Amino acid sequence: MEVLVNLAVNGLATGMLIFLLAAGLTLIFGLMDVVNFGHGALFAWGAYAGIWTYVTTGSFVVGILAAIITGLLLGLVLEKYIIQPVYGNHIQQILITLGVLIVLSEMLKVVWGPNQLSARTPSYLAGSWEFGDIIIIKYRLFIIAVGFIVFFLIRYILKNTKIGLIVRAGVINKEMVQALGINIKKVFMYVFMVGAAMAALGGILLGPYSGVIYAEMGMEFGILAFIVVVIGGMGNIKGSLFAAILVGVCGSFMAYYVPALSLAVNMLLMVIVLVFRPQGLFGAKG
Amino acid sequence: MIQTMDRKNMLYGLIFVALLCIPFVTDSRTLLIMFTQIFLFGIFAMSYDILLGYTGIVSFGHAMFFGIGAYSTGILMKQIDSTIPVLLLAIVLAAVLSGLVSYLLGILSLRLKSHFYAMLTLAFSGLFLVLAEKWRSVTYGNDGFTFSIPDPLRDRMTLYFIALITMALVFLLLNRFTNSPLGKVLQAIRENEPRVESLGYNVLHYKVIASVVAGVFASVAGSLYVLTLRFVNTSVLAVEVSLDALLMTIIGGVGTLVGAIIGAGLIEFAHHWLTGLAKVHWIFERWLIFFGILYILVVMFFPQGIVGTFRNWREKRSVRNKKVIEEKKNISG
Repeated sequence: MEVLVNLAVNGLATGMLIFLLAAGLTLIFGLMDVVNFGHGALFAWGAYAGIWTYVTTGSFVVGILAAIITGLLLGLVLEKYIIQPVYGNHIQQILITLGVLIVLSEMLKVVWGPNQLSARTPSYLAGSWEFGDIIIIKYRLFIIAVGFIVFFLIRYILKNTKIGLIVRAGVINKEMVQALGINIKKVFMYVFMVGAAMAALGGILLGPYSGVIYAEMGMEFGILAFIVVVIGGMGNIKGSLFAAILVGVCGSFMAYYVPALSLAVNMLLMVIVLVFRPQGLFGAKG
Repeated sequence: MIQTMDRKNMLYGLIFVALLCIPFVTDSRTLLIMFTQIFLFGIFAMSYDILLGYTGIVSFGHAMFFGIGAYSTGILMKQIDSTIPVLLLAIVLAAVLSGLVSYLLGILSLRLKSHFYAMLTLAFSGLFLVLAEKWRSVTYGNDGFTFSIPDPLRDRMTLYFIALITMALVFLLLNRFTNSPLGKVLQAIRENEPRVESLGYNVLHYKVIASVVAGVFASVAGSLYVLTLRFVNTSVLAVEVSLDALLMTIIGGVGTLVGAIIGAGLIEFAHHWLTGLAKVHWIFERWLIFFGILYILVVMFFPQGIVGTFRNWREKRSVRNKKVIEEKKNISG
């Protein structure tokens, strides 16, 4: 029983990290119809910039802010100069964002060196609570909380605010929104920036969780995020949350019970879902 | 038109003969090895071009077929015997296996949209990587294993000729394939899939054929690759191998077989050259950055690649020339 609870909490925490990454990805796809294979690099940049600031200033909160700002800035530059020229062409998007992934991942090594950086948990989030044999690590709970806060925040913004209304309308009919006098290009840019910032936030949160950060994690987690988006149904935030938790929990249980399969479990999940439901678990048929 | 075709074929023939002569002119080992690598990656890039350039399918899992060729050859050489018949058996076996895998993968996933297919191929090749890492009794996991190759092939020069001739053969075969009616249907799918479908063609059927052809030839490249190294490990299955194929095809020019070869040559050459420059300045140790930037610029400004851009330029020029000639005629007439 204790094992089950511990595994579930671990899986949930990992799932929430992946959700932060996948949510931005699916938001960008849902609104802009852009397949961003470079999303993982934003995650890695958030992690490096955030952890570096955290180590230099000694404040985790400042680190998080630095990560978010890095994400926003990178998102702005990417959208303006790289993504805009390839709107509407999926194959070109796949290719160009892949180039972005390569360049950004290598740039990390230029700026911070090729070795991995270590990251410590801030003292107020370190340690754990024990209930009998159940050990709950505080930091994991913190990640889970942040994940849910972000999820409900996005949902609130999308459902209850004017900008959310515009975004949702844009998903359904871009031209109509444009015709109503709203600059859909600007909206696209903001959405891309917010998505990038969420990825960067996920990046810095991963730092203390895994203890080390390295340049290749962009690729690794980028793939994971894509798997989640595909499983959940592209463009669906709720689907992403559900799929991220599914992937996280499956991963943590597999790592404990069938370690040999743990590397392949996400891929297998995606293959199964795609074969039987190509539009994803929550995706609309289309 | 016929005249240009003849001139083109003559040019290719001349280049082939020139390449045949290289080993007799120079005895630089590194140069021979580099050219051998270029030839076999040329085969790999051409096979990828069948997917991306001729059919318009993005796959991130092409390393899987390269790896099937590499591992089949390595394992058979090590476990059975390093003789020519076993080698031939290994190459055929790898080709059949690749054909089967690409057929199954194609049937399952080619009906999906482009980004889903790209992801699924990534997933499948990821599964193969895990399999190669875990099945240690046969693959020796991440460490890989060395093996000996048949005696007649031990000479670097022999391998050079084999790689060159195989590349030329694959080029001729694929050239025939892409110019056949079937190849034309593939190109039509690339240009306008819904229209081809509405004309009554079974698009999935043709896409699967493209994927099988690409898979089989990629496995041949993989077989040759480990033959030159006499070593195989999981790096042949890494995502980077698929990305290399992508890069070579894009830079050389999608939709042209020569472009794929030129791309392979450029990338391999740049790789050697830039890693050599690392001694000059540390930034060149991160040569991948330059590749990445080049890659983005090519996709943005030269989506046709080197060969495609050149071809457009020449077409424009010949159209202009024709106009000039006609105008002259009009004036004189």
